[in-house]
Amino acid sequence: MSKALNEGLRRALEDDPKVLIMGEDVGRLGGVFRVTDGLQKDFGEQRVFNTPLGESGIVGTAVGLALRGYRPVCEIQFDGFVYPAYDQIVSQVAKIHYRSGGQVRLPIVIRIPYGGGIGAVEHHSESPEAYFVHTPGLRVVTCSNPVDAYWMIQQAIRTDDPVIFFEPKSRYWEKEEVDTTAALADAYPLFASRVVRRVPADRPAAATLVAYGPTVRTALQAAQVAADEGRELEVIDLRSLSPLDLAPVYESVRRTGRAIVVHEASRTGGLGAEIASRVTEECFYSLEAPVLRVTGYDIPYPPARLEDEFLPTLDRVLDAVDRSEKW
Amino acid sequence: MTRMREFALPDLGEGLTEGEIIKWLVAEGDLIELNQPIVEVETAKAAVEIPAKWAGRVVRIHHPEGATVLVGTPIILIDTEPDAGDPPPVPDSASGATAPAGSGASAGPSEANGSRESAEPERISVLVGYGPRTAAPARRRRVAPEPSTVESRPSASSTVEHQPPVTVAHPAPVAPTPVGPPLAKPPVRKLARDLGVDLRTIVGTGPGGSITRDDVYAAARAASQPDFATGPDFSTEVATRPSTVAVFGPNREHRIPVRGVRKLIAQNMVASAFTAPHVTEFLTVDVTRSMRALARLREHPDWQGVRLSPLLLVAKAVLLAIRRHPMVNSTWSGETDEIIVKEYVNLGIAAATPRGLIVPNIKDAGRLSLRELADALTALVTAAKEGRTPPADMTGGTFTITNVGVFGIDAGTPILPPGEAAILAFGAVRPTPWVHKGKVRVRDVTTLALSFDHRIIDGELGALFLRDVGSFLSDPEGSLLAWA
Amino acid sequence: MLDGQAALGGALDPPTTPVSAGHESDSRFRSASVVGSGEPEFVQLLTPDGKRLTHPEYDVDFTDDELRDLYRDMVVVRRLDAEGTALQRQGELALWASLAGQEAAQVGSGRALRPQDMVFPTYREHGVLYCRGIDPIKPFVLFRGVAHGGIDPHEHKFNMYTIVVGAQTLHATGYAMGVAMDGKVGGDDGEAVLAFFGDGASSQGDVNESFVWASVFQAPIVFFCQNNQYAISTPVERQTRRPLVHRASGFGFPGVRVDGNDVLACYAVTRRALDEARHGQGPYLIEACTYRMGPHTTSDDPTRYRTASEVETWQGRDPILRLRRHLESRGLADDAFFDEVNADAARQAVELRERVLAMPDPQPLDMFDHVYVEGSPDVAAQREEFARYLAGFAAEDGAGSGMAAQQTGGGRHR
Repeated sequence: MSKALNEGLRRALEDDPKVLIMGEDVGRLGGVFRVTDGLQKDFGEQRVFNTPLGESGIVGTAVGLALRGYRPVCEIQFDGFVYPAYDQIVSQVAKIHYRSGGQVRLPIVIRIPYGGGIGAVEHHSESPEAYFVHTPGLRVVTCSNPVDAYWMIQQAIRTDDPVIFFEPKSRYWEKEEVDTTAALADAYPLFASRVVRRVPADRPAAATLVAYGPTVRTALQAAQVAADEGRELEVIDLRSLSPLDLAPVYESVRRTGRAIVVHEASRTGGLGAEIASRVTEECFYSLEAPVLRVTGYDIPYPPARLEDEFLPTLDRVLDAVDRSEKW
Repeated sequence: MTRMREFALPDLGEGLTEGEIIKWLVAEGDLIELNQPIVEVETAKAAVEIPAKWAGRVVRIHHPEGATVLVGTPIILIDTEPDAGDPPPVPDSASGATAPAGSGASAGPSEANGSRESAEPERISVLVGYGPRTAAPARRRRVAPEPSTVESRPSASSTVEHQPPVTVAHPAPVAPTPVGPPLAKPPVRKLARDLGVDLRTIVGTGPGGSITRDDVYAAARAASQPDFATGPDFSTEVATRPSTVAVFGPNREHRIPVRGVRKLIAQNMVASAFTAPHVTEFLTVDVTRSMRALARLREHPDWQGVRLSPLLLVAKAVLLAIRRHPMVNSTWSGETDEIIVKEYVNLGIAAATPRGLIVPNIKDAGRLSLRELADALTALVTAAKEGRTPPADMTGGTFTITNVGVFGIDAGTPILPPGEAAILAFGAVRPTPWVHKGKVRVRDVTTLALSFDHRIIDGELGALFLRDVGSFLSDPEGSLLAWA
Repeated sequence: MLDGQAALGGALDPPTTPVSAGHESDSRFRSASVVGSGEPEFVQLLTPDGKRLTHPEYDVDFTDDELRDLYRDMVVVRRLDAEGTALQRQGELALWASLAGQEAAQVGSGRALRPQDMVFPTYREHGVLYCRGIDPIKPFVLFRGVAHGGIDPHEHKFNMYTIVVGAQTLHATGYAMGVAMDGKVGGDDGEAVLAFFGDGASSQGDVNESFVWASVFQAPIVFFCQNNQYAISTPVERQTRRPLVHRASGFGFPGVRVDGNDVLACYAVTRRALDEARHGQGPYLIEACTYRMGPHTTSDDPTRYRTASEVETWQGRDPILRLRRHLESRGLADDAFFDEVNADAARQAVELRERVLAMPDPQPLDMFDHVYVEGSPDVAAQREEFARYLAGFAAEDGAGSGMAAQQTGGGRHR
């Protein structure tokens, strides 16, 4: 996935001379996850450059650059370090288009590696997406696989709205074939969710798993094991968190009657709550059980030795399916 | 301390999954010190030197320069006690598979734990990042079943009234009235609303006292207000009358919303008709002797005031015939691939009501005396007329009789109630020319029509059963003597 | 091979060709780097050759034993740090942030502290931690992923490591404000605060805000910037156009630049700054010019952004070597002494290694502890829910915490 993002950024830089990449260590080093590897060498230091060490500065100056007509792609080095920039993001980036009565557009992309499961130290495993989804004016998306990564980053850069682009770092080294010759115009829409495991219409589906980013793989593995146990589960990759594209979720839940949301972020106030609320409203008469959530617990992210207990796992997802069926 | 130690490629930088071996800095047989650099590895992030984790002698190098190995793959075996005599023998096969240099393909982790030599090597420690999940995803075994977390509904009393022995698909609801708001999930609530059923009056049979769909259906049947007609006794003349006149709208159409009991009945009919292959056999019988028997019974002192109709004798005939042919009193169970033959007969009597068809049944009718049967029929009819049929009487039927004669017709091709194998329709009793003892006489004649589920009952069995019913009705006294 | 350094010599292997010149190596932007570029000198009392210098404002008066002790401290600190890198490469630690090259800055400043002073480290001050008398295993607990923090700030007057860059400078300033509010400023027994940060951190808003606060509240704080020339791959020229020491003047307090590889100078400067701060003359900024000989952390690859020749230049300024030369030249130490120090360091390293390997894993339910002082029904409920969930599994060999499950290979699937 890291390479797919790299290629996608490269295409974006090629396609539009106004695209800039800025952040800590994105230049010669190529980023701590090598996502910007080789880009400074090929596109020069005016377009791909290291910033001083200051997240607020990165986003704040990006606002100014966007005002000037550039399309900045900012990198925040790790999820836990976005908070110094949070004020610039929610007070400024999110609101300026609205405040200007539509006169000003800020086509900024803020890339943030997020999520845990890599054995890291503090502040390197956070899932802060809810703070941004809750902020009107921002778009929030997350890729779960290399193919989506390649297309979504290009689409995000082309969008005139500001996009927070979450990259699940535990999946950076996952590999998949990506057809880079296809046209961007034909790519799957940026703000659309996708059914990644569909149960054929002639088989009964036991439940709908809703996931995004790193938990998509978890959900797919759970579905694989469930299939071996004789239960078919549908899995939906949300991809877009703001806006949420839940129509496929509703369609699925109307058939299964059971929905389970899976995310690494802590439970209370997480996106699972929003999704549960909407699904309940839209699919009320179809629900055989309440919408369940498999999430991190309401504790700060624990030390690495314990993160496997904290994060949603295949077992916890299947446990939730079992509990759902008891209603 | 374990002597022979495998060293596996660790995650060298926050979530890396593999590394390429660039250069071995030691060779097999070398003596090495703790922390001595032994190999150079390149990862997606960096080229790093790995220091030896233990001092000792290099026994085996598992992957050559140029190989790409997954995090967690053992790459070198070290004898940590080189002075302690010969090391245990090591098999030749390298652990895992290697990839061609530079191809980017990956090797799998081996099952080096205890599989290689007689001395147990140390368990492979793959720390943070934990490497790629190359083992097929598997679920940890659970032992204890989870206790149900479904909330329970409190009830006013926990005693169970004594019920006559009844084996039904659902346990009979406990008689005490429920307290607290009814527990039902959204689809059940919608169903109740569509059927016009008040959830507060239902005792749920689901987990924790929750109300199930079947509970709602049962209540819907019971709640109907039938204008129950068993028909005039002995009447062979039924005046026809116009049925309800529709009021047509300006486009000359009248739309009737399908809801409630009608919808329910329709669903049941569809479920039955298109699941069980229906076959109907007909038998026209001379029931003169039955009519005369009823007349004599009416005069009997023990039977004063008892309501009598041909239905009673038809019921008795059916019960005796079932005893002789139990197979007709069964259920086809698709989920378990079984035919469940029942010894008890819950005899359903179809009743036409303005709200539609209901089929209350008499539990274990086969054990009732003729008098008890008559009383039960009376009670059933009365309750149905008054709309008081208890929900329990609405479920669990095993055989149904439908009296189409009250409508003045001879026969029909009735549809099986879901879950039953056979249904008997009997028509109007009419004076009819009949060959009796070789001469044409006017006798009381009726037609019996038996529809049955051809998966369970074949033509011959249906015929045998039907003829038994017919025999009884032709000669009730003789049949009672012979079979009762 | 440098004294006390573990056999990791080849780990760096910088490229032999110079990195391409670019914006960041523009001569206008080199002025922020070390001496030789025409900028004000820094305080130096010991040259790289081991020659003793005098300085008009700073000096030290150490006994021979004390000098030898400083040498021993630096060797041990370097050796334990090298063990951290080795353990990470061997899969026993998730990460290690090496202080290699910065021993003088940390030991010099660390030994200048008085017992009542408070330290706010970043995440690399294992040398200061050692000098403070804290069990050197503490950073290993953190980097092994066994626990966060792991230090009681009040016990040793040393705050927990702070990984968010620069955040600790505000904490330090607030603490110093508290010291002043408590009236513990003004005498020899006054308390001072020593706040560490790096050249990269100087760009963070928090650090600059801490300068504002410290100065307007006249807090008894000494800001100690280890300018090790890099913030991961970003050279200090990308953080500032003038030496960082000049910031102090802009914010209204004195700053002094010191040779960060000179343990005597670091000691002298820090000692004086702390003593003045405790008497109410704070704040102070010390910029210690040193070099990060190793990678930013074990996840980093410095060969991608710096040259072999640059590293070599700094090897010539090695902090331990110069003190050794000095001791030798004055006859204060012989080979037997140096061997004994190396052996002592090696012994401590091996002991530490064994303790790290024997560190018990935390228990799964532990993660629900200490979220709130007064507890929380939600957290308690989730702890129960999790305990029930765990209890529903069949026992496995070696099952228990997540790590053990990993080791069986079947492990958890995410």
